Amino acid sequence: MNDRMILVVDDEAELLEMVKSIFERAGFTQVLTAASGEAALKMCKEKQPDMVILDVMMPRMDGFATLRELRKTSKVPVLMLTARGEAEDKFAGFENGADDYLLKPFLPKELLFRVQAILKRVYPEKERKVFFDVANVDLEKAMVQRNGESISLTAKEFQLFEKLYENAGRIVTTGSLCQAICGDFWQGYESTLATHIRHLREKIEENPSKPVALVTIKGIGYRLNIKGAQT
Amino acid sequence: MNASERFFRRYIFSTVGIVVLFLTVNVALVASYFVIAYFGNVATSNFPIEDFSNHVIVANGQFTGDAQATEMLNKADAWAMILDEDGTVVWEENLPEELPRHYNATDIAMFSRWYLDDYPVNIWKRQDGLLVIGLSPGNVVNYYLSFRAQYVWPLLFGLVAVFFINILLMVYLFIRNAHRVEKAMGPILDGIRHLSAGKPVHLEETGELAEINAGLNKAGDYLMKKDNTRAEWIRGISHDIRTPLSMILGYASEIEDTVSLPETTRKQAGIIRRHSEKLKNLVADLNLTTKLEYSMQPIQKQRFDPVELARQVVSEVLNDELSELYELEFSEDSPGKNISIVGDQILLSRMLNNLIRNCVVHNPNGCRIQISIGSNATICTFTVTDNGHGVSESQLNALNSDEDISSTQKQTEEAEHGLGLKIVRQIVKTHQGVVRFAETIPHGLTVKILLPME
Repeated sequence: MNDRMILVVDDEAELLEMVKSIFERAGFTQVLTAASGEAALKMCKEKQPDMVILDVMMPRMDGFATLRELRKTSKVPVLMLTARGEAEDKFAGFENGADDYLLKPFLPKELLFRVQAILKRVYPEKERKVFFDVANVDLEKAMVQRNGESISLTAKEFQLFEKLYENAGRIVTTGSLCQAICGDFWQGYESTLATHIRHLREKIEENPSKPVALVTIKGIGYRLNIKGAQT
Repeated sequence: MNASERFFRRYIFSTVGIVVLFLTVNVALVASYFVIAYFGNVATSNFPIEDFSNHVIVANGQFTGDAQATEMLNKADAWAMILDEDGTVVWEENLPEELPRHYNATDIAMFSRWYLDDYPVNIWKRQDGLLVIGLSPGNVVNYYLSFRAQYVWPLLFGLVAVFFINILLMVYLFIRNAHRVEKAMGPILDGIRHLSAGKPVHLEETGELAEINAGLNKAGDYLMKKDNTRAEWIRGISHDIRTPLSMILGYASEIEDTVSLPETTRKQAGIIRRHSEKLKNLVADLNLTTKLEYSMQPIQKQRFDPVELARQVVSEVLNDELSELYELEFSEDSPGKNISIVGDQILLSRMLNNLIRNCVVHNPNGCRIQISIGSNATICTFTVTDNGHGVSESQLNALNSDEDISSTQKQTEEAEHGLGLKIVRQIVKTHQGVVRFAETIPHGLTVKILLPME
């Protein structure tokens, strides 16, 4: 994951330096920087980065214009960074094809979390295994290995597990999980979700009635506690 | 004199005019009634004939007027005579020579009401004859009025009708006058109402009160300009502060997380980071409250599930590593019931987040925070309850009476900038809802937000 090439674009040299250092400290080995929209477009063409962090307010060519230009030739994921708190900016960003939008000031972990979530979604790893106390899940094959035997995950269980894994260690609400398996019109599917959760627990938990990996947060949702992951 | 003074002076004059007209017409009406009613008595009132008669006495068939009688006649420049039953003058005083000394029934009938040879006369019936007083010509006008009996009632009715028509006319004139003023003042009052609500004002600068309209337009423009300048200033400041704050937050976090650095340095960096986060929240709150106050925040209303919204907010707070001192619980009043409301999800998330954050900020020693959602056919209720130390009764009353939030806050270091609850109120107002504050039993604060489902 951390060998992905990130391009950070901002006209503020010091901020550029700081964002670069945040990524490098997080283990990213290829962090490029550009101080203008034009330079960013040129760099995108030459280096083909895996992700672009784009500031909105830049002299001459602003972030939106840069993004519009970029989208003519590339589908590279873009996270917009802005110092303006306008809701219109946010919508304009998404309309122009941004993948996410982060308001300045931001915490480094907030930036890293969002970038990693986008990278995980856009570039799924070929070998992805998630480890628990009594089982491990192979995300590529949608299989659970437990006590030497392989148990397959149903399509719904797999969608559910993927959503939980993307947010491992964090609470995912019932609505978000229902949406992941049923689409936008998920209301009324809470009991179906409970059934899938029970089946998933039977596959990954030692004692499904006392879950430790896939825990219930009463009234809110569920949290997946993983022991480790191999990518 | 300016236009408004002229307008009001004219209004006052026309009102006074109406009152004067009414009084004059009615006084004239009443007076004419009395003139008609007492016309017959007027003649007697010109000369005290009865009194005079008492001063003419008969002794041995001989009439004699005393000195007072003579004085009365002289004073009134009048003459007197007494006629017997045959019409012969049996006594006279100052009687002009040219007048006859005998009158027949026709003569008596002719002069009894009007004139005797140009002399206006009054007559008085005595037991022993008819006393006739003649006044000097030109001093008194004698007029004999007679009506057909059938006209008396219609005449009285007519007088009453005229009186009421008069009243109606006056009421009409008053209403017309008031209506004119109302018509002229209406747009001005509307304009003032708009101004007090912070909305732009534009009045037609025509008519009698054009000057006032122009003044209000100017005041409205000035206020809008001032508001815009303030909003722009806050927006500008918040924008300019964001990039430097990103640097502070970023580097403070980096230092805090660098294990190779001394513990004290990391701890200090942690303090910088926490306070920068407070500043970050302040900038966001300041920006939002300004935009809500000046209706600059675009409201994206859509139908959504409030239960899921509350779950999202609670999970965000929990995922944000909420201190172990706090216990955060979420419940539904009717689990499994599908609710959907129309509103701005981002703003309502912010509202709940602010309420939870408020519980945390005001209870630094920890507390249990419960969030629940309930609904009936028309109202969706969000309840945020904590079992912290709550607020005093006066603070509670102030909170429920929509008083300025900042004035109810304790002035301690822990108290936040006071925008949290203000933003909650603004968001609820945007959704036509109501905020209620109550005491939690045995201690703590309960905030209830009631939002219409549509």
